[in-house]
Amino acid sequence: MNAYVGAEKLPVAGDPEREELLRVDNVSLSFGGVKAITDISFDILKGEIRAIIGPNGAGKTSMLNVINGFYHPQEGTITWQGKVRRKMKPYEAASQGIARTFQNVALFKGMTTLDNIMSGRSLKMHKNFFWQLLWRGPAEREEIEHRRKVEDIIDFLEIQAIRKTPVGRLPYGLQKRVELGRALAMEPDLLLLDEPMAGMNLEEKEDMSRFIIDVNQEFGTTIALIEHDMGVVMDLSDRVVVLDYGKKIADGPPEEVQASQAVIDAYLGVSH
Amino acid sequence: MFYREAGQFKTSYEKDQALFPIRQDKIGLGVILLIAFVVIPLTANDFFLASIMIPFLVFSLAAIGLNVLTGFCGQLSLGTGAFMGVGAYAAYKLTTIFPDVNVILLVLTSGIFSAIVGAIFGLPSLRIKGLYLAVTTLAAQFFLEWCFIRIGWLYNYNASGAIEIPTREMLGVVISGAEATPLARYFVVLSITVVIAFLISNVLRGRIGRSWMMIRDMDIAAELMGIRPLQTKLMAFAVSSYICGVAGAMMVFFWLNAAEPSSYSITLSFQILFMVILGGLGSVGGAFMGAAFIWILPIVLRAIPSMLGVDIGAETVEHLAFMVIGALIIFFLIVEPHGFARLWQIAKQKLRVWPFPY
Repeated sequence: MNAYVGAEKLPVAGDPEREELLRVDNVSLSFGGVKAITDISFDILKGEIRAIIGPNGAGKTSMLNVINGFYHPQEGTITWQGKVRRKMKPYEAASQGIARTFQNVALFKGMTTLDNIMSGRSLKMHKNFFWQLLWRGPAEREEIEHRRKVEDIIDFLEIQAIRKTPVGRLPYGLQKRVELGRALAMEPDLLLLDEPMAGMNLEEKEDMSRFIIDVNQEFGTTIALIEHDMGVVMDLSDRVVVLDYGKKIADGPPEEVQASQAVIDAYLGVSH
Repeated sequence: MFYREAGQFKTSYEKDQALFPIRQDKIGLGVILLIAFVVIPLTANDFFLASIMIPFLVFSLAAIGLNVLTGFCGQLSLGTGAFMGVGAYAAYKLTTIFPDVNVILLVLTSGIFSAIVGAIFGLPSLRIKGLYLAVTTLAAQFFLEWCFIRIGWLYNYNASGAIEIPTREMLGVVISGAEATPLARYFVVLSITVVIAFLISNVLRGRIGRSWMMIRDMDIAAELMGIRPLQTKLMAFAVSSYICGVAGAMMVFFWLNAAEPSSYSITLSFQILFMVILGGLGSVGGAFMGAAFIWILPIVLRAIPSMLGVDIGAETVEHLAFMVIGALIIFFLIVEPHGFARLWQIAKQKLRVWPFPY
């Protein structure tokens, strides 16, 4: 599986130089009687690739939803860039620099690839309605300025050919790629990827892994990803959190997690 | 063969994101504008201007307005007729209060009142979606219609309960009221419609238009990308109602001369909605095509028997026209659920590769 990774991994785990980007402390989330997450704590350091894994229904996606403000945990705190975060709306999380992709692609189906990625720039565009009415002048200049950035992303993801294609018509693998592009257009500090390789073939997985590593190393974006393909997870990530039934059962570098008896039990089952 | 963009290279993003990036489209638009501004005024008779072109343009503008809300922002509305009525009554009150101000300015201002009302009735859209939202906008329709009937102040306590448009001049030409010539009214209506269609196209291709489409296509993802759902939806309601309000004011000022509350009933709302659906949700050009189909085709159908010299009663003709239109609506919706705008796109795509199938 080492074929995925071209570059050497930077030593991140336990590196005291790295700042903490996000810290989750004793977070619990329940929906009525269903406890989705119970008392989970972990941190994400600046510049690392952090994987969240676990069997189905372990609470991984709920964890991401808590991080980007879509769910509000009943207990616990989330510290973002050194400040304890109050309860907030998803669009506030977006403006603080958290972007994400979805497990089942959530692109804007009626819009072209270009428009989808441009939509990631929404928060950075400010010209008001009256300039937009006129178009010529400030609104057009702003549009072009952001179009340049978007074209860089299109080049980076090698999707030039589908620039003007409505995304509803694209194959699944490309849709996932466009969705990554849309998240990248936000120039986030923290990029949350919810199963970026689900349903992909080997070649597409290799491409996606390459993009993830490039994003992390070239742009220095911190990435938190959920993934079921253990080969990918172990090769890509610097540190891994393992959840099972809403509880954290392991946390550490891939080798350590792989060797943990609790993780093996969670995945393979254990006779009681 | 004739419609092919081969050899037209875009060297800047500016050119690539133009409203009509293909040269043939630009020429086509130029020809249409030339016909609208020069050929029709020179050749058409009063009946054609007053009964076909003016209503067609008014409905086109209203359809563009509804399209902003339903086609681009995905919020279904059945209150269009009432929002048009707000524009009409506001413009009427404004002419009463400011008789010396240019009437075109007042018509354009009246849209603001309609925008405010629209935004208020748009408030439930944060919580309610789809058909349920349509039902709440229905409340706007009935409530506002009630206001037009019951609040005497709105129609200056006329005994008839209708609003009658006074004669107003611009640059020495009578443009509203019974004495205005169809030609003068046509130019006013055409200019307002073209300018608003052009301006709204600019909004739709930029940041704001994209934020509406984001809400339409996937509201959760839009929110996670920093779009504020309430603000965005209310803005769509306001802009849509502004355009509908201006269309409603034009309807009474430059076409009907007088209007009763029933002119802005639910029937009008449905008529505009059909234009939008038939023309194509999310297309400004489609709004014109939908308006042409719903307004002009029945007139043409009714004229056919007398042109052919067939002697049948006027009522029979009317009923036949209804049946034909109904059948055609069903036919077109089966052929292309996305409306004329999509049919036109497909036709252009076919032209591009002609004579080969693909």
